Amino acid sequence: MEALLHNLKLSWFSIKRAPLPYALTLLILSLGLGTFFSNATLYYWMNRDPIPQKSATLFMARINSTPGDCTDCFEPPRVMSYMDMQKMSGSGIPSAEAAMFSSDAYAKTVENQQATPSQVELRVTQRDFFKLFDVPFLHGETWPDNKARMEVVISKNTALKFFSRTDVVGQEMLIDDKLYKVIGVLDDWAMLPRLYDVNGRRSAEPAEDIYIPLETAYDLAIQSNTQNSYFDVDWDGNMATYPQMARTNFANQLQFWVQLDSPEKVQQYQQFLKNLVADEKAAGRHTRPESNKLDNILDVQKAMRATNEQLDAFALVASLFLLVCVVNASHLSLNRYMANQYEFSLRRALGASRWQLQGQILADVLFSSVLAFAAALLFAQLGLWTINSLLPSTRALAGWDWQMVAVMALFVVLISYLVTLYPALKTSFSPLNQQLKQ
Amino acid sequence: MIKINNLSKIFRTDLIETHALRQINLQVNEGEFAALTGPSGSGKSTLLNVLGTLESFDQGDYLLDGRSVKGLSDRELSALRNEKIGFIFQGFNLIKDFSLFDNIELPLRYRGFSAAERKRRVEQALETVGLAARRDYHPSQLSGGQQQRVAIARAIAGEPRILLADEPTGNLDSLMARQVMELLEKINQQGCTILMVTHDPDQARRANRHIQIVDGQLNDATMYEPLASEPLVAGA
Ligand SMILES: Nc1ncnc2c1ncn2[C@@H]1O[C@H](COP(=O)(O)OP(=O)(O)OP(=O)(O)O)[C@@H](O)[C@H]1O
Ligand SMILES: [Mg+2]
Repeated sequence: MEALLHNLKLSWFSIKRAPLPYALTLLILSLGLGTFFSNATLYYWMNRDPIPQKSATLFMARINSTPGDCTDCFEPPRVMSYMDMQKMSGSGIPSAEAAMFSSDAYAKTVENQQATPSQVELRVTQRDFFKLFDVPFLHGETWPDNKARMEVVISKNTALKFFSRTDVVGQEMLIDDKLYKVIGVLDDWAMLPRLYDVNGRRSAEPAEDIYIPLETAYDLAIQSNTQNSYFDVDWDGNMATYPQMARTNFANQLQFWVQLDSPEKVQQYQQFLKNLVADEKAAGRHTRPESNKLDNILDVQKAMRATNEQLDAFALVASLFLLVCVVNASHLSLNRYMANQYEFSLRRALGASRWQLQGQILADVLFSSVLAFAAALLFAQLGLWTINSLLPSTRALAGWDWQMVAVMALFVVLISYLVTLYPALKTSFSPLNQQLKQ
Repeated sequence: MIKINNLSKIFRTDLIETHALRQINLQVNEGEFAALTGPSGSGKSTLLNVLGTLESFDQGDYLLDGRSVKGLSDRELSALRNEKIGFIFQGFNLIKDFSLFDNIELPLRYRGFSAAERKRRVEQALETVGLAARRDYHPSQLSGGQQQRVAIARAIAGEPRILLADEPTGNLDSLMARQVMELLEKINQQGCTILMVTHDPDQARRANRHIQIVDGQLNDATMYEPLASEPLVAGA
């Protein structure tokens, strides 16, 4: 400990002797690290398993049911129609299942009717949604069934925003001027990435504010704000006929998720879909080739071709930039060590072994690591702001948890050591006699 | 205590080979104060560096306290330098950012002494060189002679068996040079063996032994024939 303090003091002396080259080394290093960290942060959030305890059991189901005769169309539509969703549900095989889409609306409280309404993000879904994705309730609970009802579940932040408290079960809200009763308030919850909604590349956005029953949304003509595909639909646009039209046509907007707890269940559900398609074909529907998809939640981004290539490209560039910075910083640090070579040789002459010199080098590394870490976090934060403003859909990913911070800290130490390694070795192994000659 | 048998040292560069030391035989005994003189480029510094294990050699053998230094690891060599050898350089080689105290303490740290023991030894060494009152000064605040005395204090604080001094008065005026010489004599009288390179014939005379080196070869009656019983051949 005392030796470490001594070595830190020596590091400080050597910095003081040439503060500018040191600052430059540090700047280059932390710029590289900061850029790398900001990209690594996004990359980490985008590619992590958001629900490790049950990701193996969650699947998005699709069938290749689109009108028309196309013998080589094997890619099912990205979203399902209401009719097909109904047929895919109720098999009894999944332990939870829910169809869903996202939308938005304007909301206000009943007490505060004069206020200008605020925009809210909606998730239109069914009873099992919260069970599927382990969404915790703070108060109340989910709907008792999948029927239409003027009842909503709201997020904790929404409760705080509209009511300034969380225990608001039984309170009423106006959402697009329709009156709903709050039956549940969620606890803090974020699923990152939001893999239940990769369509439209929205998986990096925060969780929604308000959850509305699917049947109610169909009754009230609340539609998806992500993807709404009409195939061969003959509709005059009259909202009064929307509920009927949307339920009986290829007005596709639903993502359908199931929880299958074992490989056998997966097998069974696949067989169920197969049988379903066979029945449909027998009935003269499902004219395209059979091509059922049951994509695991961790594969769904790839399956929907919703991976973020921009992010991948950024990550590549950031890694290369880090490499360049490390090489440069190493070069600068070599110069610094060479300037201090005399002192290293003197210490060797006074009886320090190469090993003991490593203690000094470690102290240097520690010193630079602390400074570089602080600066790198700053640059990373700047980088995140920049990226978030270039790619607004990534804004939910800007945060760090303490594990990430710890990993980053470790990484900084490692890189700092790498930067110092070659200069350190070179200085400790250079011949001793020449330096001390004056 | 120092015994060198048939030792040769060759500096090789891309173009030329310099035979800095040729087949040197030398024995330095406990308690001697030996002066090493010779023309510039004759190999004095090289010999001192070899004795101080700062420099390797090509042939022959070097025994310190009866033990060959050949094949010792870096750690063993460092420990040997640290415990048995004290260096004094022409250019003092003090660390400018350090106080006198810290400078003298440095080699004691590598030895693993406790803080209390280091303090005791530093203070004693400072006392010996007569700079006890300036322990918190920095080298730049001292005259050249005082700086060299600090370097001597640093060299003797570890109570080495032998002091190797390469022109310790080379950068000093005659008054200061005399003070440093007197100090070295005092240290020698306390029992420390000293081998000193010098250009000054007066200083050489004051030493109790005078070794001359010319063109890498020892050239006086102080040459010792290697004993038959001692290993002679490199790698033995
Ligand atoms: N690192 C080295 N590389 C190549 N040649 C060297 C090296 N060090 C010394 N020499 C050569 O070895 C010979 C002896 O050098 P050394 O420094 O021992 O001389 P010296 O007697 O100390 O001279 P001076 O009185 O000028 O200090 C010289 O010819 C010198 O050029
Ligand atoms: Mg010399």
